[in-house]
Amino acid sequence: MCLRSSSYTSPKPCKHLADYKLRHAFDGYDSLQNCLKTTPIGRTRVDNHNTKIPRCNFCNGYLGRLYICLMCSSISCSTHILLHTQSKSGHDVAIDIERSELYCCLCCDQVYDPDFDKVVVSEQIKGSCPGRSNKRRRLDSGMELDLKKSKRLIAMRDGRAKSCYPLGLRGLNNLGNTCFMNSVLQALLHAPPLRNYFLSDHHNRDECKRRYGEKLCLLCEIGALVSAMFSGDRSPYSPAQFLYSWWQHSSNLASYEEQDAHEFFISVLDGIHEKESKVRNSSKDDGDCQCIAHRAFSGSLRSDVTCTICGFTSTTYDPCVDVSLNLDTVNLSAAEKTGLSTLSGCLNLFTRAERLGSDSKLHCQNCQELRDTSKQLSISRLPLVLCLHIKRFEHSLIQKTSRKIDQYLQFPFALDMTPYLSSSIVRSRFGNRIFAFECENSDSSAEYEIFAVIAHSGMLESGHYVTYLHVNNQWYKCDDAWICEVDEGIVRASQCYMLFYVQKLLYHKANKDLSCNASVESR
Amino acid sequence: MSGPNEDKNTQLSSHFFGDLLDSIIVDVASECHRIAKLGLDRNLEEEEEEMRLSVQARARVADPSNSSETNTKYVVDIFGQTHPSIATEIFECMNCGRSIAAGRFAPHLEKCMGKGRKARLKVTRSSTAAQNRYSRGSPVSAYSPYSNSTSTNRLSNGTPSVAGEEYSNGTYEEPWNKT
Repeated sequence: MCLRSSSYTSPKPCKHLADYKLRHAFDGYDSLQNCLKTTPIGRTRVDNHNTKIPRCNFCNGYLGRLYICLMCSSISCSTHILLHTQSKSGHDVAIDIERSELYCCLCCDQVYDPDFDKVVVSEQIKGSCPGRSNKRRRLDSGMELDLKKSKRLIAMRDGRAKSCYPLGLRGLNNLGNTCFMNSVLQALLHAPPLRNYFLSDHHNRDECKRRYGEKLCLLCEIGALVSAMFSGDRSPYSPAQFLYSWWQHSSNLASYEEQDAHEFFISVLDGIHEKESKVRNSSKDDGDCQCIAHRAFSGSLRSDVTCTICGFTSTTYDPCVDVSLNLDTVNLSAAEKTGLSTLSGCLNLFTRAERLGSDSKLHCQNCQELRDTSKQLSISRLPLVLCLHIKRFEHSLIQKTSRKIDQYLQFPFALDMTPYLSSSIVRSRFGNRIFAFECENSDSSAEYEIFAVIAHSGMLESGHYVTYLHVNNQWYKCDDAWICEVDEGIVRASQCYMLFYVQKLLYHKANKDLSCNASVESR
Repeated sequence: MSGPNEDKNTQLSSHFFGDLLDSIIVDVASECHRIAKLGLDRNLEEEEEEMRLSVQARARVADPSNSSETNTKYVVDIFGQTHPSIATEIFECMNCGRSIAAGRFAPHLEKCMGKGRKARLKVTRSSTAAQNRYSRGSPVSAYSPYSNSTSTNRLSNGTPSVAGEEYSNGTYEEPWNKT
């Protein structure tokens, strides 16, 4: 029987392993437990405590692969392991000394047993003494997405509008170098949680004005924008009021000059959060904040810093609303850059264990000394909407110049974030053993669907942003005031700067709700 | 070193090298075997399909004979509308009440609000952005180990022109002098 947990299968044991387990249960595992030794990087080998080098019983060789028999603990090399099985009946299963992997001598293959893995992992954990209780962060999936109940803020349909196009598609006028703002707004307004929140009138503008006066409220501004976008009027909308409010909020960014879309994105989320925390008068940390910005975008990153000498790991968690990725070919020479740069490559780079330089030694609690450390990031809690920001900026300190990296980045439309989760990363650090690690977060989905891409073209100091939106199985290009249909190939080939993914389950539900045949209720 | 000894040393070293190489190869094989058996790489097919589609798309776009993405500006949008390159919708500035054309609203507002390069004190963007960020506990990804401040990861848009500069078609807007 294959046991499938959220992310891995427990393979069926071979006949010989099954037989062994029936006859001897855990005897062999237990007796070997004391001989397991784990190195700081998580590698476990079988070590008999002898000072002598392990040698094959038959040929006395010590080279090549060595196996220790689970029944009698005799050691054989790969050449003679079969001989051992043949000479002693029932001695079918052995352990690879180097890697602590079960080996069936009759099947001549590596086999797997969760019980054995449990023994190994217990040894690994004991060795690196974690002693820390990691708070289980549960993904807040309690988003109310009941669009049916919501009051549609949709007025009469504009006669000119082609009724077969989805609601919400509307161009945004460029107010003077504001394509950075238009592109982010298009993506945000079509993010299912945000769109539904505002369409359901969760932030009632009249009430807000009544309670807090005419004071600046970015939530009201976004609400007004959403209403305008979904009104049925297809003539381009000028987000002037929004610009005015935003400049009042982020006064340091208020200027008619080159702006960065990502910076604007963060600024808007900040504005939403600020208003919300004022309203609720709460100072909850970002991880638990219930403002719409955090409910939609907030996730949690886990950072493990491991001492390279003793293996002791210290773990911290930080909330985040997006993930900024370096291009995976950034440090390669021109000759090496033959391969394609991919999003999975960037995510792998982001989650790889990185050896920190000797000039940044950290204090190890276990060793009580400054040690070389290795740091590894992973995602402990995934957000509903995942925003991936590609750092296309290269800054040379020597030349004091900056340039844009135009390198094409391949990205998928369907993204599985499982390999980058803390559960996967931590498991791989323990050799991918079959074990229920405490950071397992099996109740939330790691599968995402793309719904928006912000692409940048041109140079660093002068360029242009456009947004590609995926609505009802059709891709649209939102280039300021112009909305056009495009083939998905255009989107795939574009130079992505920010990618917006939404959890698959939400995506399909959201698309159903937004079908153009939905009834229109006048306000 | 005489001939035979040299040969023996070379033999020995290549023997050890071979051994090490074997050990590494089996190591990797064992690791991959586990990953495959436990189904930790089950999305391989989907990933390959995505890759194929992307490569195909790029090839098509690069092909000059393809009537690929036209410049969207100056064409008709999906609703059958055309728009001027600079938005001409007129509305009232919410700060001063003047009537402004949409396409020139940002440069006008900048001066109107007393913001912008000329109006601001000489302060680097990076320090204010970082300050603004961390002092208000904003939802910024605070994890990035070696990230420079965000200002070094910005892609700008638009032309680095001075506000109020003349466009080819439009009228020249007089700078607003706020008293």
